[in-house]
Amino acid sequence: MELILEQMPIVIRSLNIGFLQTLKLFAVTLLGAVPLGLVIAFGSMSRFRPLSFFTKIVVWIIRGTPLMIQLLIIYYFPGLVLGKPIWGGGETGRFLAASVSFIFNYACYFSEIYRGGIQSVPVGQEEAGLVLGMTRSQIFFKVTLLQMIKRIVPPMSNEIITLVKDTSLARIIALQEIIWAGQAFMKGSQGISGAIWPMFFTAVYYLIFSGILTVLLGWLEKKLDYFR
Amino acid sequence: MKKLMALMLAGVVTAAMVTGCGGADTQTDAPAETEAPAAETEAPADGETGDADVADTENGADAQESASGESDMAYVKEKGTLVVGITDFEPMDYKDESGKWIGFDADMAAAFAESLGVSVEFVEIDWDNKIMELDGKTIDCVWNGMTLTDEVKSAMECSNAYCNNAQIVIIPADQADQYQDKESLAGLSFAVEAGSAGEAQVQALGLECTPVKAQADALMEVAAKTSDAAVIDSLMAAAMVGEGTSYADLTYTVQLNDEEYGVGFRKGSDLAQALNEFFVTSYADGSMLATAETYSVQAAVIEQK
Repeated sequence: MELILEQMPIVIRSLNIGFLQTLKLFAVTLLGAVPLGLVIAFGSMSRFRPLSFFTKIVVWIIRGTPLMIQLLIIYYFPGLVLGKPIWGGGETGRFLAASVSFIFNYACYFSEIYRGGIQSVPVGQEEAGLVLGMTRSQIFFKVTLLQMIKRIVPPMSNEIITLVKDTSLARIIALQEIIWAGQAFMKGSQGISGAIWPMFFTAVYYLIFSGILTVLLGWLEKKLDYFR
Repeated sequence: MKKLMALMLAGVVTAAMVTGCGGADTQTDAPAETEAPAAETEAPADGETGDADVADTENGADAQESASGESDMAYVKEKGTLVVGITDFEPMDYKDESGKWIGFDADMAAAFAESLGVSVEFVEIDWDNKIMELDGKTIDCVWNGMTLTDEVKSAMECSNAYCNNAQIVIIPADQADQYQDKESLAGLSFAVEAGSAGEAQVQALGLECTPVKAQADALMEVAAKTSDAAVIDSLMAAAMVGEGTSYADLTYTVQLNDEEYGVGFRKGSDLAQALNEFFVTSYADGSMLATAETYSVQAAVIEQK
């Protein structure tokens, strides 16, 4: 116990740096995937058959393969097969590759949630809008969108909290997120070697962060509760 | 309006998809994305792996590279940086208080880069992916107390051995006296790093073993009593078990073999030869041993000639 207290400051500093990386990946993924998911949702709902077919195939591929494999493919494929390591070996490149993989992966999941949300709005509302002479885009933005947002908050919360923990997969391409930082002490880092507790301690970070997110998303859900 | 939107969406989705779904799609899109900068820096890069190499020619692209005949050394000099793939591994590669990479391997790598006239960059990698990192050119060499096994030698262009190592058995300290020779190990369950030299040793002895992801995980198995014993590198064991670690009640007993550390480059790289020459000079002028003494590993250093 005394030993742990002694190691605490060094470990916490290192875990904080790792957690910052986790947060960065989380934020970038969310910022990219939320709008991209909407685009994909429109693609799969399109009445232009080739487009919706193509989109559905892509969603199938992305949802049907492990994110870990997607990370490996996106990071290593260009250099291994094309001989052009477009991402570079440094930390920035690894982060970019991880971001791209995460954004596409999550956008595909989000798109299906959006589609469910949009299609759950009764078709009568769209017909009423058309009768009133509104264009389809007016109907979407003024009638459907807000109801859809309200309805998708619970499933989106689910995905967002999963995302917090999924960021740990990025360590497969050596992105130094918090679990990487914790595991470094198992072997030896910054004068501390053979310490197991930092790795388990990372769970506290995840728990606190997803707790905060749960509260925020619950609040958002309440805020959107004004129309029934 | 509606059609226009559908068209725009189609465009965006297509562009998005192409990057997104990996595999063949990444292939077509990714280089295009960064075409302008990539084209300039990669042009010389293209030629680099191939010079004398047969093993690397997995596909047509590589075969073409060989034809252009440029060497790996030229590639590294061209980009001005030797990217060294490492893991955090005291006393070979680890960070000092200011966050700078030091250690016997790190210092030697920096000196080698200097002799080539390029700067050095250390990148932490996932050890499992070291060959992919090399072949994918995200790093230029693996210099991290790497045991020269047959597998490593067949996948990489390796330098001469520069450091001695051994695989040793880790066991709870209170049982250590019962397990002092190889014969006594029968019946124990072992945790070993998958693909490591330790795994090969345990299998050669015909003992029961569980492969885990890292040597550190193997230790945790013993501490958690999910395995009876582990086999890891002696250099690592010295730092990782005993007083002041989470493994105060573990100790090491039987030494299973002798082995050597080397540096790995891309298959066919001329840098391995350059490093061998560098090792000879730095051993001759004493700088290699001086560096080793800084990290107390001088006893393990192998004479270079």
